[in-house]
Amino acid sequence: MVVQWMKTASVLASVGTALLALSGGALAQQIDITDHEGRPVHLDAPAQRIVTIPMPMASGVIALDGGTSKLVGMNPLSLTAIREGILGRIFPAAANITDSVTGTDFMPNVEALAAANPDLVIQWGGRGNDIVDPITNAGLNALLIKYGTEELTRQYMTMVATAIGKPERIGPLVEWRDKVEKEIEAKTAGLAAADRPSVLYLGNALSSITASGDKGNYNAFYINMVGARSASAGLSGSAAINKEQIAEWNPDIILLNAFEPQLDVNWVYDDPILSLTKAAQNHRVYKMPLGGYRWDPPNQESPLGWMWLADLVHPELFNFDLRGEMKTAYQTLYNYQLTDADIDGILWMDKQGTATGYDRFKAK
Amino acid sequence: MVTYAGEAVASPTPRRHGRPTLIFIGLVVTLLASILVSLCAGRFSVPVDRALAILWQGLLHPGATPTTIDERIVLLVRAPRVLLAAMAGAGLAVAGTGLQGVFRNPLVSPDILGISQGAAFGGALAIILGIWGLPLIGMVFLLGLAALVGVGFLSRINGRTETVTVILAGLVVGSMFTALVSLLQFIADPNSSLPAIVFWLMGSFSTATWERVLIATPGLLLGTALLWGLRFRLNLLALEETEARSLGVRTEPERWLVFLVVAVIVGSQVAVSGIIGWIGIVIPHAARLLVGHDHRTLLPAAVVLGAAFMVIIDTLARSATSAEIPLGVITALVGAPVFALLLRRYYRERKEQ
Repeated sequence: MVVQWMKTASVLASVGTALLALSGGALAQQIDITDHEGRPVHLDAPAQRIVTIPMPMASGVIALDGGTSKLVGMNPLSLTAIREGILGRIFPAAANITDSVTGTDFMPNVEALAAANPDLVIQWGGRGNDIVDPITNAGLNALLIKYGTEELTRQYMTMVATAIGKPERIGPLVEWRDKVEKEIEAKTAGLAAADRPSVLYLGNALSSITASGDKGNYNAFYINMVGARSASAGLSGSAAINKEQIAEWNPDIILLNAFEPQLDVNWVYDDPILSLTKAAQNHRVYKMPLGGYRWDPPNQESPLGWMWLADLVHPELFNFDLRGEMKTAYQTLYNYQLTDADIDGILWMDKQGTATGYDRFKAK
Repeated sequence: MVTYAGEAVASPTPRRHGRPTLIFIGLVVTLLASILVSLCAGRFSVPVDRALAILWQGLLHPGATPTTIDERIVLLVRAPRVLLAAMAGAGLAVAGTGLQGVFRNPLVSPDILGISQGAAFGGALAIILGIWGLPLIGMVFLLGLAALVGVGFLSRINGRTETVTVILAGLVVGSMFTALVSLLQFIADPNSSLPAIVFWLMGSFSTATWERVLIATPGLLLGTALLWGLRFRLNLLALEETEARSLGVRTEPERWLVFLVVAVIVGSQVAVSGIIGWIGIVIPHAARLLVGHDHRTLLPAAVVLGAAFMVIIDTLARSATSAEIPLGVITALVGAPVFALLLRRYYRERKEQ
């Protein structure tokens, strides 16, 4: 009797599925992805509720989707970028999305995760199982992505676009990244070592100063791409350094991170040691812009960051129309028309508008 | 022969400590040498003769503003850092010596008793509340003292204070304050206050400036001078309670006086360089091995030895590799084995006598 009923039910269910598949079309489309840890990720339908634990991915999901409706949780440092940057103005609703799903150390808060009820949780891969197990143990679907290279960035952006059922959005973005990268590399590939200025990117500055070696470091990737070399290439991984070491490196250009809101170029110019470096003497100290996301790590706006840096490092080789490129990109990514005031804010024109090479970024 | 109470303590274990004058000359020479080497060493290469010339000019014209990069490195980066390290090392060593005398217990030190952790909590709390400058130092000092008072009350059972209960009470209070700092870290804005709070837990001199030297100097000098003034009293307090009382010492108020002084010293040190472990326990022992138990010679020996040790360790931390090596790693790596060695030698010698 029970068996009979179950059979009937299963027949009915499969008929139902078939009907749904017939009527719903794309809605019932199943999605299968292999993530960066080689794990199969299965979705019965495009993800509608997504939690992003890696910091740059929150704005990545917004850009790939063209809105905030699918993002239901993010890293606290993603939220500060949204609140401090322009994304909070373009998408005011994003500022109310919860950031309690994870600590800034990427350790998920399972209860808050469960409360957000996501059908997909994006998490860092390559950092051990401790930050992944809480997600899978709670029965949630995890997509693991790896940080480091441009290739990985394109791969995981494609995975996420596929997962949210908008694969058509990723093609043009990847093509754009490829085009800008090739355009820049065509001009810098033949540069001799002597023609490559040394650039120091500081991941932290205010309480302790940190810099990174070249291996697996995205900042070093684009520093090399635009025809410069990283002053801190000799370090292994991210390490605390002191001002004396910076004086010894004596970089031609200093890049300050966009993660510390109180940090601006005066931190260098007011310092008795750093103000004597070549970078400070030649007014080539720049804080990384904060657009839809901070331009330091890989994100949907990376090509804008490369153009910005290429113009600053080799003004004789490059002359990108950065303001025009930004307007086009923001239209595509967020369906938003950037004003000149928006661009001034993103590029910190008020703080570093007088820096060497910055005049070409001024509004015409 | 006139004997007074202070001397009575110096002699219960008659040990031959060579010639104290020679030992002191050796210690002071070591300190001066380590300071000089430290001023000449660093990631930015300044030739030794140039560094010494800069230093000489800096001493001759202290008001002049250094203009070239090597002048600024030596006078604005290395000099305050070396001075701060020396003062912090001396302060921690002398505070440890004082505590060990008062508790009659060789296993206590500012970090083991939770004073450093309490002071760090004071600093972190001030940052969260948006307090900076002198009031911040005041909170660092007050919370450090509160930790010590807490240990004092916790460990006192039926009017008696036993070695084990002191250590355990220190553990309890220290863990409590560490947890409170972690709680503040949790609440803190990850962008702005958090890095500033982490500083209090990870001891470092990398942020040394002349301003910080000025902040730390009054407390460290005053505290050390007061402990030096209490050197006879420390000798008496180190006696058995009944013995000390019979010699006319009012143990309780004098003990509190020492605690207050220790809190001033440790508060000043933590306020400028965060929690630094091991110095407060290793140095007093090393000093005791060199000059004996009499606080009249022990205190100055601890000051000089602590300063020299801290300067050497910090020089290693900042100049061995391009990256700064965390100070706590080196103090523990050097401190723990030295401590183990000292401990074994100390007890073996005691058995032999």
